[in-house]
Amino acid sequence: MEYSEQRRNSLAARLRAGERAAAAELVDIYYEQIYVFMRRLGHDCQVSEDLTQQSFLAAWQHIGQLRSGKTLNGWLYRIAGNVSSLYWRRHKDNKAVSIGDIDVPDGSEPECDKTGRLEQLGRLKNAVAELPVKLRQTVVLHYMQHLTIAEAAEAAGVRQGTFKSRLNRALKALRNQIISKDGELL
Amino acid sequence: MREEKLEKLLNELADATAQPAPPYLAEDIKHQIPHHLSPHRGGMDTVNIIIDLRISKLAAAAAIIVTMVLCANFLRSRSPTGDGIYQDSKLLIKYCLGGIDARRSDVFTAKTRYEYLTQRVKDVVYYGDSIDPEDSNAVLIQWKLSDGKYRVVFGDLREETVSAEELIKLQARMLQKKAK
Repeated sequence: MEYSEQRRNSLAARLRAGERAAAAELVDIYYEQIYVFMRRLGHDCQVSEDLTQQSFLAAWQHIGQLRSGKTLNGWLYRIAGNVSSLYWRRHKDNKAVSIGDIDVPDGSEPECDKTGRLEQLGRLKNAVAELPVKLRQTVVLHYMQHLTIAEAAEAAGVRQGTFKSRLNRALKALRNQIISKDGELL
Repeated sequence: MREEKLEKLLNELADATAQPAPPYLAEDIKHQIPHHLSPHRGGMDTVNIIIDLRISKLAAAAAIIVTMVLCANFLRSRSPTGDGIYQDSKLLIKYCLGGIDARRSDVFTAKTRYEYLTQRVKDVVYYGDSIDPEDSNAVLIQWKLSDGKYRVVFGDLREETVSAEELIKLQARMLQKKAK
């Protein structure tokens, strides 16, 4: 659900005022996004559910840090990112699970092209899952959750320059894995 | 070109991996919304401000330590025994509530202070038994500081650091007043 800036500001103001209905509205808008964010960060289904709940619980405790509607995305994703990082720190032996099935919408392309594309996406999905936690989070925030550089940097808790630098490192790592020397996708 | 391909593929991967969350998840989360959402957590605001500034953790720790040291120095400069603010507060409350007998009770407060100081500071002299309780400029207690100056507590419990010459003048004035 796309929210206008005015509605976001209103929601942020109501949250800061401690309005319970605003908290429920926040859940409605974001729970799917946060769940998918957790899955894309490499958590399995059950853990993603738990971490999504924990993210919102942490959000209720940190409402004071929310400044305006403009920073709503960055604020909530930052909390969710921290919850995820904390999980990885506590479960160092757990490996990132790449998200289950890939579903490519049916188009006009021939079946063999579709199969090839699925294979490419599968390789990329595994490459993302193998990235170090910070780089994985960077790629997921910007390219998969579609946060702007400013929002994603806020969510990662770093300056925009640092975020761009991380993004370059992550892309380089992915490129090395899935693109051949002659520039073609493997 | 390779970057563009990769970015395009990442965007495709985002669409391909958009899985729906379990339908009960939203309700589960909503049940956990506290009845009183509080935007402020006690004692955490300073820490949050530092976090928001996005300075490194080391710099944040250094800033907190420097602030604590500065505060400690400020409080110490109020009184060598560190209870100057406590005394000032006590005096203020006493003047607000005490009325006529406030002055006389100052001498009693000073006596308590003197007993406290004798355990911590060398060369403390107490004049409370011989001065006029109504004289706010009378020297009640004096002690020597490490830099050669003297710290003086006056009749109204005001504290000042004075030189040896100034102290002699103050004592001379007290003697003159007593002689009258």
